[in-house]
Amino acid sequence: MTLFKNRNIKDVWHNITGNYSHWLSFIILLLAAVIVNPSFFSWSNLSNQFVQGAIVGICAMGMSLVISAGMIDLSVGSAVALISGLGITVLNRTQSVFLCLLFCLGAGLIVGLINGILVTKGRIAPFIVTLAAMSAWRSVINQLGQGGPFTASREMYAGLREVAAGNYLFIPNLMLFFIIITIITGILMSKTKFGTYVYAIGSNQLAARLSGISVDRVKTLIFTYAGTLYGLSAFLLASRLTSIQAASAGSAYEMDAIAAVAIGGTSMAGGRGKITGTFLGVLMLRIISTVLIMARVPPFLNGLVQGVIIIIAVLAQNRKK
Amino acid sequence: MNLEMKDISKSFGPVKALRDVSFRVDRGQIHGLLGENGAGKTTLMNVLAGTFPQDSGQIVINGKVIQGMTPRKSGGLKIRFIHQELNLCNDLRVYQNMFLGDEFSRAGFLKTKPEIKRAQEVLDYMNTGIQAETPVSDLDTAQKQLVEIGRALLFQSELIIMDEPTTALNTREIENLFVIMRKLKTEGVSFIYISHKMPEVFEICDAYTVLRDGAFIQSGDIKEITEHRATELLIGKTFVSTNLKEGQDSHVREDTIFQTRHLGGAGFHDVSFEVHRGEIVVITGLQGSGTDELATALFGATPLKGGTILIRDRPLSLKSIKNVMKSGVGMIPRNRKERGIVPDLSIQQNNSLAYWTAKHPSPLVSRKEEHERFRRSQVKLDIKAANEYDPITSLSGGNQQKVILGKWLEIDADVYIMDNPTQGIDVGSKFAIYKLIHALSAEGKGVIVFSSEFPEIRQLADRCLVMYKGRINAILNYADLSEMEIMKYSTGAQGEEPN
Repeated sequence: MTLFKNRNIKDVWHNITGNYSHWLSFIILLLAAVIVNPSFFSWSNLSNQFVQGAIVGICAMGMSLVISAGMIDLSVGSAVALISGLGITVLNRTQSVFLCLLFCLGAGLIVGLINGILVTKGRIAPFIVTLAAMSAWRSVINQLGQGGPFTASREMYAGLREVAAGNYLFIPNLMLFFIIITIITGILMSKTKFGTYVYAIGSNQLAARLSGISVDRVKTLIFTYAGTLYGLSAFLLASRLTSIQAASAGSAYEMDAIAAVAIGGTSMAGGRGKITGTFLGVLMLRIISTVLIMARVPPFLNGLVQGVIIIIAVLAQNRKK
Repeated sequence: MNLEMKDISKSFGPVKALRDVSFRVDRGQIHGLLGENGAGKTTLMNVLAGTFPQDSGQIVINGKVIQGMTPRKSGGLKIRFIHQELNLCNDLRVYQNMFLGDEFSRAGFLKTKPEIKRAQEVLDYMNTGIQAETPVSDLDTAQKQLVEIGRALLFQSELIIMDEPTTALNTREIENLFVIMRKLKTEGVSFIYISHKMPEVFEICDAYTVLRDGAFIQSGDIKEITEHRATELLIGKTFVSTNLKEGQDSHVREDTIFQTRHLGGAGFHDVSFEVHRGEIVVITGLQGSGTDELATALFGATPLKGGTILIRDRPLSLKSIKNVMKSGVGMIPRNRKERGIVPDLSIQQNNSLAYWTAKHPSPLVSRKEEHERFRRSQVKLDIKAANEYDPITSLSGGNQQKVILGKWLEIDADVYIMDNPTQGIDVGSKFAIYKLIHALSAEGKGVIVFSSEFPEIRQLADRCLVMYKGRINAILNYADLSEMEIMKYSTGAQGEEPN
């Protein structure tokens, strides 16, 4: 923690409003939530926030890496729909939840790898590659589902559902998954060479290359890691819903993930960002919608308020420059 | 224009960038503004150009006090600031760039033809040979610089501020620029000329002002001061103008450490030379002679078309930059901002980046180790940094460059390629870097320096390779080095001499 080291109060304040501004907005939002709903801090409500946010949250962790390296991934929602639909098919065929999980992770890895190879070897902008992937994967799963849902068979239903609905020592499994992935990604980004390279590439790709970083390999790994997380999300989504609508599953996940990363203080140009920021960003998005419901704001206006809050959060971060 | 700036002060937070600085420029005068990086030159010019307001003090133009200067106002007063980094849009044409923001238009529609005509007049007047309709991306750096100046002339500027205009220019292009400046001077245009290159300042300027640490030091007629004295004033201590090479034993040893055979690539061909242990080889040449391309190719950053490189008598595989680094070659790239620094990473992270890629076996990194590594670099290179967790961009140019050097010293290479390692940094830092290069050679390392500044070549070279049209045109030993010789071979003039 460098927050309080060798600094006077003014510096600490600058640091809080600058580098740690996502904590500040998070706390303000919590206060707002408590004012609207005094029982906000009940365990059932708190853990519910995590459960609601977990599946998108895991995707947002992948998105964090992609954006920190100065790229973007629009294929999240479609990839999740594709993998979860196919995952349920695999589950029904193999009668094994574990094999379904393995399939989802593997499929996610491949989906990410394809993005990565097209971006690095094909020299196509990430925006274009993932835009194409977004359209393609959704189309594939729609064709396979022919409009109908992918539904877990009756004998597999309970076993699949248990993963997302279960608890471990009062902690919902989804919450655990989200926290564990956050910790792993956090360590990856702050304690490994790989993490340093991701930021370096996002900040100055040429200088990174001239420092001996194999930019193509790091970028491919970023997409592959992100894809694997989408695969995990897809598995958890399948488990949570047990029935996947090809046309709508995972829709707008990329938008929620990007929003969480942005609110969390990661620079959209790459080079700067924090995993804790994204983690808080995911929770903030959840808290905002809960608060709006409790404050009886018409549900159609939810998106508007969210949009405004994203802009305010990013404006507040820009001010520090 | 008669400009007077009186007692200008400006602070950024706790940092006093300017303290009661006074400064005056007369009509038709070229005024050299001297100072090390961080002395406040650019801040003073930004105040004049209205980029930000001064905290106190006055700007007086032609006897009138100007209140609340803004960029628009300074443009209206016919002041033009040509920044060190060129501000041209590469995808637009020359005339579009020149008129950017001040287009000729009628009812919202552009009047392209008169724009082209007017732009061409200015370009021709300056004798540039540039066509107004050329896309800027087709121009080389020197031509882009001329377009920037053309832009200033287009609107009949009366005061042109030039911040390090010659960093990217070669001797001939600089001469050409000076011819244009002198011509404009006779027409009453004033210039403020900021440069670290003393010989140029003494050649072109009429008057000088020295700033140091944000304070005014001295001002006067350029004829009344020597280069040596000016350098002393701006670094603030008695500057020993020794040549580092004089009175020193040569560190050059018998055995070859780095060797190239018939290297060919984009922009150069048939380049063969060798570097001994402890030897400093300088490669020089005019813009376009292939030196830039050779520098990047030696490090494996751009592909070779043919030839081999040997390190310690073994072929060097250029498969990847990481591989080259592991084989014991380090490279300080040119253009620090574009190629050197990673602006969002902290000072100490920048310092360790090359070490992580080339030498660190574990995938994990430790901030503590990073910190210790930076402390060592800081002592070795005398880096002035307030907080090593701050982004590298918080440092002055000279200190940034020292961090970049430190980053490469961390990998302890046998051969260092340094591509213009002192580009755009102050005299003090330059000297520190020269000393460091000599120390490296004393350790028995081979150093290849790419440079186009003669004083620098003189400070460093055991041997100097002069390139012309992509080939090595001459190899000069230290004893034979002179500016004339280098010029002769880099312009290819030796072939045209009558026998």
